[in-house]
Amino acid sequence: MKRLWLEFIKGIGSENPIFFVVLGLCPTLAVSTNMTNAIGMGLAATFVLVCSNAIIALVRLWIPDKIRIPCYIVIIATFVSVVEMVLKAYAPALDRALGIFVPLIVVNCIILGRAEAFASKNPVLPSIADGLGMGCGFLVALLVISFVRETLGSGKLMGLTLSRPFEPALILSLAPGALLVMGLLIGGIRWLRSLRSS
Amino acid sequence: MADKYFVSAAPHFRKDESVGKIMGTVNAALAPAALISVYIFGWCSLGVLLVAILSAVITEALIQRCRRQPVTVSDGSAFMTGMLLAFNLPANAPLWLPAVGGVFAIAIGKQAFGGLGRNIFNPALAGRAFLMAAWPQRMTAFMRPFSVDAVTQATPLMLLKEGKASGLADMGLDYFDLFMGFRGGSLGEVCGLALVLGGVYLLWRRIISWHTPVSFILAAGAFGWIFGSPDGFFKGDFLFQILSGGLLLGAIFMATDYVTSPITNKGQLVFGTCCGLLTGVIRRWGGYPEGVCYAILIMNAAVPLIDRFVKPRRYGVTRQERNSGLARRAP
Amino acid sequence: MAQVIAIILGNILISNFILFKFLGLCPFLGVSTQTKPAVSMGVAVIFVMVSSGVVTWLAYRFLLLPFHIEYMRTVTFILIIAASVQFIEMVILKTSPALYRALGIYLPLITTNCAVLGVTVLNVEDFFVAGKTPVPGSFLLSMLQALFAGIGFMFVLLLMSGIRERLALNDVPESMEGLPIAFLTASLMSLAFMGFLGLKI
Repeated sequence: MKRLWLEFIKGIGSENPIFFVVLGLCPTLAVSTNMTNAIGMGLAATFVLVCSNAIIALVRLWIPDKIRIPCYIVIIATFVSVVEMVLKAYAPALDRALGIFVPLIVVNCIILGRAEAFASKNPVLPSIADGLGMGCGFLVALLVISFVRETLGSGKLMGLTLSRPFEPALILSLAPGALLVMGLLIGGIRWLRSLRSS
Repeated sequence: MADKYFVSAAPHFRKDESVGKIMGTVNAALAPAALISVYIFGWCSLGVLLVAILSAVITEALIQRCRRQPVTVSDGSAFMTGMLLAFNLPANAPLWLPAVGGVFAIAIGKQAFGGLGRNIFNPALAGRAFLMAAWPQRMTAFMRPFSVDAVTQATPLMLLKEGKASGLADMGLDYFDLFMGFRGGSLGEVCGLALVLGGVYLLWRRIISWHTPVSFILAAGAFGWIFGSPDGFFKGDFLFQILSGGLLLGAIFMATDYVTSPITNKGQLVFGTCCGLLTGVIRRWGGYPEGVCYAILIMNAAVPLIDRFVKPRRYGVTRQERNSGLARRAP
Repeated sequence: MAQVIAIILGNILISNFILFKFLGLCPFLGVSTQTKPAVSMGVAVIFVMVSSGVVTWLAYRFLLLPFHIEYMRTVTFILIIAASVQFIEMVILKTSPALYRALGIYLPLITTNCAVLGVTVLNVEDFFVAGKTPVPGSFLLSMLQALFAGIGFMFVLLLMSGIRERLALNDVPESMEGLPIAFLTASLMSLAFMGFLGLKI
């Protein structure tokens, strides 16, 4: 049980897929313009990650090694198609907001990376814990970035306008701002880490 | 007898030049434009200038302190960045605008890359592009010259882009007004006379070479002449294109920045020409009325590649030897 | 004709795949440290984009639409892309083993390149009305979009590699070294390309 907890927690902290392993950048930058989209994407990706990790861990002993990557991709793509259809049916506004990044969950390096690095080598329960952890880590990172971008970039939080003493810097809602925030956040986290270790 | 021999290590001829002296000369060349801006726009432009310079200098000092490096603000490069940034802002900008711009220009545009000599993009222009993307309304609210209570007025290029005027006559201006700066625009770009005087001074002191500014200005003017008019080809206004917007400021002072422009003369000609063409394209077909800032930034990104492919002729190697590969066998 | 120009300008300058659409960031940051592998990667990506663009269009038009299984789009497209990449790997291995070694892990990684799947999905969204009927000239436009998306990708990759070769010699602060400064550079490049916003000929 403790082992499961450790697998879970590492995805959020020390091996956070965005800040430390630096995978899955494309959706992170595109979707973090506001927190609502970030939560939607985070949850969708976590769902796909947990389900695909579970299935891959279940069938890992029967997949021939040479065609393992295409097999993983098909399994992941199936769950992504499920998510696509559910979103189109029950949350069309979110589906429109996330745009092409919903089908692009299938090439999210995080999901394929965990399948290859973990689920193919570990039993079902730890794989589920790992998937949950990495998914939550992804979600947490998305929340942090979108918090910065939404408050400073449009003066709103989750769509509600804040009363603020400054004029919002529109650039943060745009592409250059996303790259800027990402670079400063990763650099900042590294600097804090180096301060702590020294 | 022994006094007749001086034994010392090279170099034996020294030029009396240093980073501080070069920066000081450039700052002196910029001074006329700064003073004229106070005359044309009033005391508010002095405020913008001071805040931009202070924020740039303080940011550089703080960052260098944090990195435990010697603080080099006395070399005048941060001062110059601050001044150039201010030149790109409207004269009546709220003072937090140059402050934030100065911090971004120095911290991100210069120090994050490693400091003086290491940056890829012109810091002042990076700051201006950042401010433009962040607060576009503030950055395009230009002041009417000689107005006491900061009435806004669109620049000639803005009027052209929005279709509100199709030539100088419609704007109530003539070439003299454009050249002297009696028109709307940012703080430092309006007075062509001051900028050209500064440029001539820099050329005379051999601080800059003619390649970049001349190719830039000619390319932008030619493009505007050929494609500028909606009535057909070769009907554009060459002089108007050269004298309006930030072309003179950009070509003389920004594109010639040592760090972010090519090393070789041939490379500088390529750089200047492409900058001019890009400016023309953006002015004619782009969404923004002025393209100098973006043209220079884009070409800054291409400079490492330009330097790589435009190599100077090696001394002592003739063209046949070079082409036949003989010269590769170096002694 | 105007549509063609809009596609060319749009994909290379105005809404560049890497700098504005954020597609293809992982290989962009991974391969852009040197110019030679960047050029090879760019060419490989263009090839994969065009070939999978063509095959996915045909598959969508003649397989998925007639049988009303559009929801299988994601699975089908990704399998076609994986097959394309496998094929190109074999071709490169045969023709230039040095190039194969130089590209290393990044070649099979083109499969997970968001830009390739992205352009195939964008083709369906842009050139099929409501995802059902193809617009006139849809096949040609899709092919052009794939081609110029790849060219835009390679263009930015090339610029970035030139810059990063120079950055490697700089005295960047330690916490900024590597990825953060690459992000900041990309951010400034994206700012510069904003000059093309609204470009229309």
